[in-house]
Amino acid sequence: MIELLAQTGLNALYAASYTALVAVGLVLIFGVMGVINFAHGELFMLGAYAIVAVYADWNLPYLVAVAVGMTFVGIVGLGMERAFFRPLRDNPLGGLVASIGFLMILQALVSMGFGVRMEHVPPVTQDVIVITEKVRLPVFRLAVILAAVVLLASLWAFLKKTRFGWALRASAQDPEAAALQGISINQTARIAMFIGAALAGVAGALTAPLISVNPHMGHSVIVTAFIVIIVGGIGSLEGAVIVAVAYAFVHTFVTTFFDGVIADIVGLLLLLAVLIVKPTGLFGSADRA
Amino acid sequence: MVAKMFKNVLTRRSLLGSGAAVAGSAAAATILPSTAFAQDKVVKIGFLAPLTGPVAAWGKPGLDGCLIWGEWINAAGGINIGGEAHAVEFVAYDNEYDPAKARTGATKLIREDGVKFIMMLGGDTWPGAQPVADRTGMLFSTLLPSDLSPDTTTLIAPCEVHPIYNVTGVEWLANNMPELKTAVMCAQDDALGLPSVATYLAAFEAAGIEMQYAPLLFDPATTDFAPVVTRLISGNPDIVCLDTCYADYVHPICEQLFQQGYGGQVISCTADFYQQIVAKTSEEFMEGFVFQFPDFDDPALNDESINFQMPNEFYAEYASRYGADQWGAVSWEYASIMDLWKAGAEKAGSVEPDAVLAAMKEGGTGLHAFGEADWWGKDLFGIDNALVGNWPVVVIEGGKATIKEFRSIPDWYAKHGELLKKHMSAYGQMWNQRT
Repeated sequence: MIELLAQTGLNALYAASYTALVAVGLVLIFGVMGVINFAHGELFMLGAYAIVAVYADWNLPYLVAVAVGMTFVGIVGLGMERAFFRPLRDNPLGGLVASIGFLMILQALVSMGFGVRMEHVPPVTQDVIVITEKVRLPVFRLAVILAAVVLLASLWAFLKKTRFGWALRASAQDPEAAALQGISINQTARIAMFIGAALAGVAGALTAPLISVNPHMGHSVIVTAFIVIIVGGIGSLEGAVIVAVAYAFVHTFVTTFFDGVIADIVGLLLLLAVLIVKPTGLFGSADRA
Repeated sequence: MVAKMFKNVLTRRSLLGSGAAVAGSAAAATILPSTAFAQDKVVKIGFLAPLTGPVAAWGKPGLDGCLIWGEWINAAGGINIGGEAHAVEFVAYDNEYDPAKARTGATKLIREDGVKFIMMLGGDTWPGAQPVADRTGMLFSTLLPSDLSPDTTTLIAPCEVHPIYNVTGVEWLANNMPELKTAVMCAQDDALGLPSVATYLAAFEAAGIEMQYAPLLFDPATTDFAPVVTRLISGNPDIVCLDTCYADYVHPICEQLFQQGYGGQVISCTADFYQQIVAKTSEEFMEGFVFQFPDFDDPALNDESINFQMPNEFYAEYASRYGADQWGAVSWEYASIMDLWKAGAEKAGSVEPDAVLAAMKEGGTGLHAFGEADWWGKDLFGIDNALVGNWPVVVIEGGKATIKEFRSIPDWYAKHGELLKKHMSAYGQMWNQRT
């Protein structure tokens, strides 16, 4: 039983790592721009397809492919900010609808470029750390966990220690007051969109060798991310990280000891319970709810 | 890469540009010789299956196979209806495995395109198309006989008797590896997964193989299968059964089994694109993997009893066009259904749905791809509209799928039919339990 618990804990750590990356990006975009980006799952998908193109098709090193994926998806985010979200800044519903339309465009473009079938991504490494006969941690999964920790720590340092980070936080707290202090709303929106999209892209790129890469893969990721950011409190980065870890552990343990369908139900019940008890989410504030 | 993109752009345009009509036209442009047939001597066949989305692996390869079938038939003089040669043209509609789109597609194919027969994957999409079938009397086919009921008089399952044929794989395992005593199973919780769960449970019980615990169901939206696999192998089972999981699940589950150190027997309904699984795991890990869908370059398919035109050549043509690693469970199946439909239409001297159906079922037997078979199913589906006979058991050996044996489904059912009905009832999968 101890071995089963240990293996399940390792599985949960991995799930928490990529879920946190996606959810934090989604929260950052909402926090600064006030837009619910429904196309966030498709940005995750684009990151995975960057791996298909650069690593699987062009045979370039995997780390190069991850860097390309993160940068490319960040640039796509910049394009979304300029094309959709900035013109619709005063119309949050318009931004939401535009992101829904854009997710369909991205799915169609990827289907046109790569086809509709699942893509094959060769394994980066098949090495496994054998802790006991029943407790194993594939080296690649460990790498994904470490990469997520480094990226989230870097984001935290950026937000807390740099002028751009202060500007982002100020814009997220009160956009009008931030503008009166000379902070460019357009610039903070661009930075938030680039970072938020790049985080989704790098999550897709990191996990691509472990999951089925197809044009519709963003759907399940975005559902989980929405549960996480609603429970954590929309707009709260700390909430997104903590709830991503908690949700991943609950979902993974329930899947292992009961089944995956019950795990989904438990996740939704948690969401309902939090909304009833604390409608702003565990770490959210009333003005962002 | 660039060539791949352009190739896929064309394919995708044909599907998305202006819907199925464009796809049909593109298909027709490919398969119709320009001078061989008069304009009005064309029989249109509807292809209403998922061509995009997570279930596309059980639709798109079938359309690809049909295009080859159509080219060959047209090149050989077409279909002989009442002494006149007719060309065949496929009109595709992507239902995205969505019942509402299946209904729209069925209506469009019948009213606008004038098709005479519609092939579907079935499953979750059949309830969408059924009202159209009831209203128009159109002949439909499904790969999933679990769609059949006494009300579906114009729906036939003439090729694949999913999931009943899965019993042959378990029976073969029990006969050849009697040391395997315990099993576990996982499945997605949907119209494809659940009847297959019931069938495997019956097959394991009939074979005296004990289930360590109840089948582990997962949401079709699952992406990370590590927790599922950890649970599956926690009790050191002799057999891990992957039920009828989609290719998008079979691949990561196998990879997880490999990474978590499982060394026992794996059995699955399908192993689509299994070369990619071998690449992600190892040849040693995949050695002995049992499933139900052969590659058609298998020499065993050259036997006289096989009713599929030039299977080895068909596979070679498919592999040269789309790649051998794109061969999947359904690559040949829709084409095989067309063989049966063509024989029925030529026998009836008509392409009208009721005449073809009567001709196909005449005498209660038919020529299934894997040999002579019976129209069967009243016991389980409430109607004898499934063509059931032998089915192959396929094992991966040296990284290649190999047919080990053809086993009789009716023989198994004669001995263990009550077990199957018991488990189907427990999972609410009998025809009179479905809503």
